[in-house]
Amino acid sequence: MIAIEHVTKLYNQTPALRDVTLHVERGEVLGVLGPNGSGKTTLLRLLAGALSPTVGQLMVAGYDTMRQPMEARRRVGYVPEALPLYPHMRVCEFLTFMGRLRGLSPRVTATALARVSKQVRLQEVWTAPIRTLSRGYRQRVAIAQALVHAPDILILDEPTNGLDPRQIMETRHLIRSLAGACTIVMSSHILSEVERTADRVAILLRGHLLGVRALADTPDLEALFLSLT
Amino acid sequence: MSALGVLLRKELHATFTSPIAYAVGTVFLLITGYTFSLTLFLTKVANLTYMFHQMYVLLVLLVPVLTMRAFAEERRADTLELLLTAPVREVWIVLAKFGATLTLVVGLLALSGSYAMVLGLYGEPDWAPVYGGYVALVLLACLLIALGMLTSSLTDNQVVAATMALGISLMLWFADAAAYLLPAPGDLLVVNLSLIGHFTTCVSGSLFLSDAGYYVTLASLALFLTTRVVATR
Repeated sequence: MIAIEHVTKLYNQTPALRDVTLHVERGEVLGVLGPNGSGKTTLLRLLAGALSPTVGQLMVAGYDTMRQPMEARRRVGYVPEALPLYPHMRVCEFLTFMGRLRGLSPRVTATALARVSKQVRLQEVWTAPIRTLSRGYRQRVAIAQALVHAPDILILDEPTNGLDPRQIMETRHLIRSLAGACTIVMSSHILSEVERTADRVAILLRGHLLGVRALADTPDLEALFLSLT
Repeated sequence: MSALGVLLRKELHATFTSPIAYAVGTVFLLITGYTFSLTLFLTKVANLTYMFHQMYVLLVLLVPVLTMRAFAEERRADTLELLLTAPVREVWIVLAKFGATLTLVVGLLALSGSYAMVLGLYGEPDWAPVYGGYVALVLLACLLIALGMLTSSLTDNQVVAATMALGISLMLWFADAAAYLLPAPGDLLVVNLSLIGHFTTCVSGSLFLSDAGYYVTLASLALFLTTRVVATR
């Protein structure tokens, strides 16, 4: 579903990712681990199409993100860490806008909105202005906008950042419930979160991919992480 | 509705729910209304030329305030990433923002059309300069908005964006002054770069394709550059 081949990303000649090769299978949940500045967000932004690689090729759902960017972006849902939302909009207006922006017809958008409002449990705040929402609800709205077009691939950058324990648990359950129908790539610097959510883990350090392991074969993720980084 | 239509609707909503639009609109209409009344009572001449020159100054000063948020705010709030990862072309994002601001400015100019209506009701104005003046103001607005979009796309600081836009506009306004220092054909080039030179011709009632071409060319160039900046990943 995702094929990253020898991807390097430079920011003004400073490498953020160096020669990364990685494949993610359909329906899999991949956790991307690494300390701050290791290149996790860069990798996720490349997959979402927010950045283009300096060298290498990224295939998303069979589409090259450079040569067929529109096709690739149609198949990806992306939740950045900063939770970018329009505070002046109501939740329903924002999600309608995101659905229509992704080319859904008004009828399909209405159906999709009914689906995601239940999936992410937004009914309570459906008509509330986004600026009045708590961090937890803002996180849910950000996830809902990424799901509104039923993407093949969901990219989550630090999805549990700033949430309380209950919200973290809910987000974890949501991610697990989406696995299978969706290929999920999520970044985190919390090992236990990745351990409980992902099928495999990719570890980055200073832009290098140090290794990819199946969590079923990794009894002690902490020891592995410490040994690699 | 196409993605452009969806984006335009969102931008119109953002523009017309922003207090900046109403503040700018109020200042524009108050000052032009005051000047119109004063000029009419003092000169008793059915002429809007003076008004058009004042609107020119107001647009140079106020349009950067309207455009400063366009991309700077989206960058600051990280919402530009939402738009750039959606399956829409960058040029549509730029055109939607341009279209929304132009709608607001044209709306303000349309409201100022009441002054022309008053002149038409109570006097016999020469309509050619009135039509020419409004065409020139719309063309000028297109250029100023496009320049504002460009500077807003270069920074996430709204004040910096507005200041840069104002600086470029003022440089274009006064460009012809440099003609005194330059040898031919450089002098001709800077004279033709001047905002005010092309504007004055239109306001006098003479519409030339070269004047319209000046505004359209520079505005298109600025929009093209904005699109390139936004598309840089």
